[in-house]
Amino acid sequence: MNSFFRKLLWLAQRRDKQAELRRELQFHLEEEAEERQERGLAENEARWAARREFGNVSLVEQATRDEWGWTRLEQLARDALYGLRQIRRNPGFSAIAIATLALGIGGITAMFSAFDVVLIRPLPYADADRLVMIWDDMGKTDVTSRYQPAPAEWVEWRRLNTIFTDLATNQPGDATLSGDGEPEQVPARKVTWTFWSLLGVQPMLGRAFTEDEDIKNVRVVVISNGLWQRRFGCSPSIVGRKILLNDEPYEVIGVMPRGFYFLPSREIDIWMPASFPPWLRTNFTWHDAQIVARLKHGVTLEHARQSMAALSLQVTAKDFRGPHSVFVNPLREEIAGRTQTALILLLWASVALLLIACVNLANLLLSRGVVRGREVAVRAALGAGRGRLVSQFITESLVLAGLGTIAGLVLALPAMRFLETLVPETMSTARLTLDWRVLTFSAAAAIAATLIFGLAPALRESRRSPQDGLREGGRGTAGARSHWFQHSLVIVETALAVMLLTCGGLLLQTFQHLRNTDLGIRSERLLTFETPLFRYRDFDRRVAFVNAELESIRAIPGVIHAGAISRIPLTVTDQATFYLFAGQSGDSIPQQVALFRVVTRDYYPTIGARLREGRFFEISDRRSESPVAIVNETFADRNFPGRSPVGAQLKFGQLDKKGYWYTIVGVVKEIRERGVTEELKPTIYLLHEQTDQWSTNGAHPSGIVVRTAMEPASIISAVRQAIWSVDKNQPVWRVQTLEEIVGRQLSTPTQSTALLGAFAVLALLLASVGLYGVLSYAVTHRTNEIGVRMALGATSREILLSFGKRGLGLTLTGLAIGLALAGIAARSMTALLYGFRPNYLPTVTLVSLILLTVAVLACFIPARRASRVDPVIALRNE
Amino acid sequence: MKRTAPSRVEFLQGTLDLLILRTLLAGPTHGHAIAKHIQRISEELLQVETGSLYPALHRLEARGWIAASWELSNKGKRARFYRLTRLGRKQLVAERSKWEAFSRAMAMILNPADRETQ
Repeated sequence: MNSFFRKLLWLAQRRDKQAELRRELQFHLEEEAEERQERGLAENEARWAARREFGNVSLVEQATRDEWGWTRLEQLARDALYGLRQIRRNPGFSAIAIATLALGIGGITAMFSAFDVVLIRPLPYADADRLVMIWDDMGKTDVTSRYQPAPAEWVEWRRLNTIFTDLATNQPGDATLSGDGEPEQVPARKVTWTFWSLLGVQPMLGRAFTEDEDIKNVRVVVISNGLWQRRFGCSPSIVGRKILLNDEPYEVIGVMPRGFYFLPSREIDIWMPASFPPWLRTNFTWHDAQIVARLKHGVTLEHARQSMAALSLQVTAKDFRGPHSVFVNPLREEIAGRTQTALILLLWASVALLLIACVNLANLLLSRGVVRGREVAVRAALGAGRGRLVSQFITESLVLAGLGTIAGLVLALPAMRFLETLVPETMSTARLTLDWRVLTFSAAAAIAATLIFGLAPALRESRRSPQDGLREGGRGTAGARSHWFQHSLVIVETALAVMLLTCGGLLLQTFQHLRNTDLGIRSERLLTFETPLFRYRDFDRRVAFVNAELESIRAIPGVIHAGAISRIPLTVTDQATFYLFAGQSGDSIPQQVALFRVVTRDYYPTIGARLREGRFFEISDRRSESPVAIVNETFADRNFPGRSPVGAQLKFGQLDKKGYWYTIVGVVKEIRERGVTEELKPTIYLLHEQTDQWSTNGAHPSGIVVRTAMEPASIISAVRQAIWSVDKNQPVWRVQTLEEIVGRQLSTPTQSTALLGAFAVLALLLASVGLYGVLSYAVTHRTNEIGVRMALGATSREILLSFGKRGLGLTLTGLAIGLALAGIAARSMTALLYGFRPNYLPTVTLVSLILLTVAVLACFIPARRASRVDPVIALRNE
Repeated sequence: MKRTAPSRVEFLQGTLDLLILRTLLAGPTHGHAIAKHIQRISEELLQVETGSLYPALHRLEARGWIAASWELSNKGKRARFYRLTRLGRKQLVAERSKWEAFSRAMAMILNPADRETQ
């Protein structure tokens, strides 16, 4: 047993040890007395002599107890109790202090819990830090520079690379699950067999598919834990069973563990073998795969980037569009997306808020120190050393911090519920909890805060000489130095508040800009959903079915318009094509990429699109030798600057083949097809009925939009019935209103703006309280001086100005520093500005005005009090 | 407090611990007996004060060099007896050689004449 544990044991047996020690010393006294009696002293006399010889019993006891090693602890407990008593004695002061700390610690705790879940916790893959995603860098094309690679690239990269242990592809493969129970559309992905070993995750039931199964196109699937529970009641016999996907039988061979997810969404229910057809393995234009790879040990990201860029240029050297490079990004970054920047920014904002809270508290404690000056002086006079005094003050601060932390955790819980929606959709649903990691973090934050706000006052108070403190009316307190210190505290908190306010203002501007973005769609009362058309591969049957289902939807009471499009607007960034104008040579093709959408005639009236010129699709546009197309403004401006594109002819898709020439008949005003926050791209719209000659790569008008006269959600079941009345096996899924889509896309900017705004307002509040505190302390402290000045002829106006000037000086200094800091901070948050360039001037002006108004108020009240000092009373106060 | 006779020697830092350990080498005994033993053997030159003795005993116990238990004294009373532990024995050897080296060094410096005459 080592000495530490022995002491700990003694601590537990404290009472017994105390009694034991007393008996031991008693024995010593008796023994001594007996000895003296033996030498001939009378009993009484012997006992007294022994006592004298022994000395002060309780002092010996105390000295011995000190050796047990818990004096420190007892001292701590005493100080803590004293701290609690202090808190009870000054309820006002304590309430402010605890509330301030609670805001600071609650904010940082909630932010950290979200930060931890999204950015720190290991992803559910083996050694996830070495996983990267690879994207084609199509810098030259119009649509997007970052492009999904082609499966053929995977084949080549896998064959030639030297830096990855393996690569896997992951392609869309949504499917209709039917058979037992209602048909259901399920999100599915097609992955290569390398996917499982690459991620280091295996099914919890059954197995993953093999290379052989992948290559031979065996119909096997691995299902998600969620689907297993929802549809198959957690039955272990699911493994080996056949299920129907798109009306074809597949054998379930495995069930993934709960909590497994992978890009692009947490909701994927089915993984099936990629089984590339032979033509896909050599076709470099079919870009629909996401590629994930695992870096070999010792390969850095930088090395991987260079090596892959070179490899890609080599592989695509003969591509008719010219060679292209690639992007290599860590998987974590891909999953966190923009949330990463938002979380980092917000975590820093919460740090700033906590700092402001600490600075404020330090100021409060310094001011209170004056009140407690006498107490400290008495303690020092009675022999308390400096160390002892400092430890007493720090312990008291710790008690405050402890209570503040508890209150902060209570505040953090509802904030965490709010922050849960910040977790990106690419991750598994996360419930933010106060687990040990978060609690450890808050404890560390509380201790750091204590040191920040408690140390300066503790050091200052303990330095005071007893004489000064004990002298009646001792007013010499800390002189110019303390003013300097308190003033810099005020400047620091003002600067931090200004920084938060400015960043918040910039985000707010961006948010407003996003909110006011013209979607090109009237978004209210618009219902959207998808009806996968895999059962209508035949063109004529498909056209007939789409017309019939739209007809049937229009018959529902309350429906104004219904139309169909190949991709629900605002949701999908891909599906693009090369195009060629009549008379152009093939050389210009590499740059000419446009999004294309296949729509029905009613699509534009349904969403409320507007024309710039020309016309929309009309009833006369039928299947014919001369099909028509509508383009968006970006397309028109890119290809026909200053001219009208109407009448121009173009073709697309497999350009070498003989295809129809499409004639442009109209230019539609921008519709944000790719998403609210995404850039606009050239877009071509085709009429579904005229796409018979050209294989539109699965671009079938499966997305339905319905304009209603009432709340769109109220007709959902009627819509399902209407579609099932045409085809009772037709799946309907992803039912949502357009406003929900917009809301979800704006959720990150909405939440980061709201949170940063809240932090900024709290910061402003705390900073103004701080300013007020310091000034009113100065007024109280200098009442005598003011009295003397007034007695000597200073007017109350002069006094008012002198205090007001000091307050405003501090504010302006803080403002200047804060604006400089904000400039630096703003640079790090460009990802959150979504390409928008906010105008600094109005934000800065507004922030300055707000701060000055608040500061003037905070200064005016104490300054006025100073100017109202009655010299007679002030001097009599002496 | 105790008045110290001028003829008595003040304890050097740490020497009391060594003396206690050495005393206990003869066998387990109680605090009072330890004090008397040191006084008697040093021919009353060293006076052990209770204010130093008991803290020292408890300190040594906390370090695990000695252990305590309640036993009957030779007069039949219950007393707290201390005995040397294995760790304490080792410590005694170490402290002793350290002390001997120290006192030899002190002697050499204080009596340089002895060396010159040699």
